[in-house]
Amino acid sequence: MLPVQLLINGLVTGCALGVVAVSFSLIYATTKIFHVAHAGVYTMAGYVAWWLVSRGAPEIVALLVAIAACALLGALIQGGLYAQLAKRRATHLVVLIASLGMLAVIQNIIAAVFTPNILQFAVPWAEHVVSLDTIRVTYTQLLTVVVSLAAYAGVMWFAHHTILGKRIRAVAANPFLAEITRLRPNAVYIYVVAIASAIVALPGVLVPLDLGLQPYGGITPLLTATIAMIAGGVGSISGAFMLSVAIAVLQNLSLLVIPGEWSIGITFFIFVIFMLFRPTGLFAAAR
Amino acid sequence: MTAYLQAAGLDHRFGGLHALRACSFDIEQGRITCLVGPNGAGKTTIFNAITGFLRPDEGHVTFRGRSLDGLRPQAIVHAGIARTFQNLRLFTELSALDNVMVALPRQFAEEPLGAIFRPLHARRSQTRRREDALRTLDHVGLADRARETVRNLSYGEQKLLSVARVLATGAELLLLDEPASGLSASALDAVMALLRRLQAEGKTLLVVEHNTRVVQQIADEVLFLHQGHLMARGSPQQIIADPALAEIYFGGAI
Amino acid sequence: MDFLFSYLALAAIYVMLGLSTNLLVGIVGIFSVSQAAVFGVGAYIVAHFLMATEPLAFLPALAIAMVCCITLNILVTLPSLRVSGDYFVVTSFGIQLLATAVFTNWTAGTGGANGLPGIPPPDVFGYQLDSTFQLMALCLCGLLLACGCFWLIMRAPFGRLLRAIREDELAVAAAGKNVLRAKVSAAALAGAFAGMAGGMYATFLSFIDPSSFDLDASILLLTMVVVGGARTLAGSIVGPFLLLAMPQALSMLDIPTTIAAAARQLIYGFLLIAFMLFRPQGLVGERL
Repeated sequence: MLPVQLLINGLVTGCALGVVAVSFSLIYATTKIFHVAHAGVYTMAGYVAWWLVSRGAPEIVALLVAIAACALLGALIQGGLYAQLAKRRATHLVVLIASLGMLAVIQNIIAAVFTPNILQFAVPWAEHVVSLDTIRVTYTQLLTVVVSLAAYAGVMWFAHHTILGKRIRAVAANPFLAEITRLRPNAVYIYVVAIASAIVALPGVLVPLDLGLQPYGGITPLLTATIAMIAGGVGSISGAFMLSVAIAVLQNLSLLVIPGEWSIGITFFIFVIFMLFRPTGLFAAAR
Repeated sequence: MTAYLQAAGLDHRFGGLHALRACSFDIEQGRITCLVGPNGAGKTTIFNAITGFLRPDEGHVTFRGRSLDGLRPQAIVHAGIARTFQNLRLFTELSALDNVMVALPRQFAEEPLGAIFRPLHARRSQTRRREDALRTLDHVGLADRARETVRNLSYGEQKLLSVARVLATGAELLLLDEPASGLSASALDAVMALLRRLQAEGKTLLVVEHNTRVVQQIADEVLFLHQGHLMARGSPQQIIADPALAEIYFGGAI
Repeated sequence: MDFLFSYLALAAIYVMLGLSTNLLVGIVGIFSVSQAAVFGVGAYIVAHFLMATEPLAFLPALAIAMVCCITLNILVTLPSLRVSGDYFVVTSFGIQLLATAVFTNWTAGTGGANGLPGIPPPDVFGYQLDSTFQLMALCLCGLLLACGCFWLIMRAPFGRLLRAIREDELAVAAAGKNVLRAKVSAAALAGAFAGMAGGMYATFLSFIDPSSFDLDASILLLTMVVVGGARTLAGSIVGPFLLLAMPQALSMLDIPTTIAAAARQLIYGFLLIAFMLFRPQGLVGERL
């Protein structure tokens, strides 16, 4: 494949990954929970949309329902699991394990209902191709970039220009102070996880349009997204997005020299480099 | 003659907070020096800087002529300085005896190979070290509470235990962070008597303390810290009697 | 009778893994989803040496595997000590996924996705151990060894140091002890147990493939420790025995084979959540 094609593929994947990273970063910076189950929410989005489309629903309806379903699931996980664990004063390790358990539950319910095999969307316009010379870009890819950038811009605007957004940032900066100044962090946490889950539904639906659905396919993108978040600096939404694009581009370009199955190695290698030389990331938010 | 413990030009910021400003002081061997000052003056930050829990942006610390810069906390304990914490940080699930035993230096079978391949030697060595630990507990007056879990100890007993733990390390310079705060009158007397006893045995103490009565009764010298800088030093009477310092301590800006 | 011996042999292997995971997750407090990867490394190394053109006897092959797994676990744990706990979650996932990629794609070394069939039975001091009973006996020996080591270190000063570290690392450093060295030692020991388990697994089953050493397997190991109970010898034994019996219990329900694996994993996930919410100390362990 031509390098330019790989670059474009990388940019597209990077944008989708960027949304995953931004949504995860919202949750992590606010609740301080490493919400591994986010990969399950991401996966569920695609399946909800697929199921509705296969039943004849218009694509836009399927997307909106998927977004709503994810928001609901996210809120349930935060309120029903994480908040309960916090009440029992669970340690960080306990919450991590519970999140992992939730991921396993979500993924395996999906696998049991939809079988573990790869499913494809029956959306004909998605595969339509725009060609420039030898460069091919599918409609899905274009849509992914547009939606992802819009989501990124939306989150930035929300965080800085809305009351809820500012409230979230306040809680993230100082949960203790938030507790005693009636910012009600617990309610904020539910909002944050619900919103972030709604956002992650976007790549959750768009990416499988191209690549197909697989119940266990959420963990690798999540892992890459968290590495982007860490490398970009926890608390920096822009950092998370930009590093996602950078990592995806690097991963795709590396296909010129390494077989595809080893791309996880590239991501990991980048992570190790950052951990060795710049553990706080590039744009860590000032505290 | 180099000072026993010397801090020179310690400077540190936490983000926007300038916690230590060119802070310099020295401690004489064998004395009880009290570090006083309003909240936020930087007392615990100095403890952290001396004991390796914090790397100050600038400045140096030397102990008996040897630089402590960049050393990790356990290395500083080996050099002869040990500290307690304001919030104690005892091992709550362990007994008082175990809390002390953790701190005993150079034990056999503190790593897996010795524990697995020479278990009998490990047991014998432990029995001997248990005697050492019991002696330390006795020294602070907790011998009869040795087997109790930390949870079952009163706050005063827990404070004594935290002192026992630093004693167990064998360190000669002890940094005590508010050893007398929150104690009843009788517990307070026990602690003060203990500190004087330690001094009589040759230990040097640097004590952060808010209680003026304690400071008056045990301090040989007082260092007054304000906004990360050493503002005054002198005998307890001099410092406590100074109206300007009292204003800062009680009424001034934090 | 053979069936019982098989169950006991497998249970012994998983108890060794349970001890390994318990050391890392329960005692040191590191969130690890890469235990199955280390298990796999042990298995593939022993398989390699037993099937080489000039095969080694079982114990030397096992020793090599254990040394490799010890080294691997040390390398894997070291990052956790430089960076905060959450960054280590990323590292642990990364290692597990990377290992699965290696097991699945490095066909020359690991047989790829099809695995390695035909691993010979172990040759111990000149005796070939052929029967299920003899293999079980070998695994039980390993189990006794692992349990013995675990018990010895927990009652030694090392065990007390680890308990203190789990409570308050800073206070341990303030007491003059090297926290890093203690954690790495525990991780090394965990690696040794996992390597031993891997070697016995390879020779007992005579066939290994990447699916036994993937993320799902790591989740199963975590579930064993969570259900049995963290930080105790009893917990490391009860968990594996119970969870290994579960597939048998499940097979009595009429679950179609296509979703049997998903059903099992679903139950593991559910158990993890339930125990973390309602019984974090497991059945016979201490609170995580």
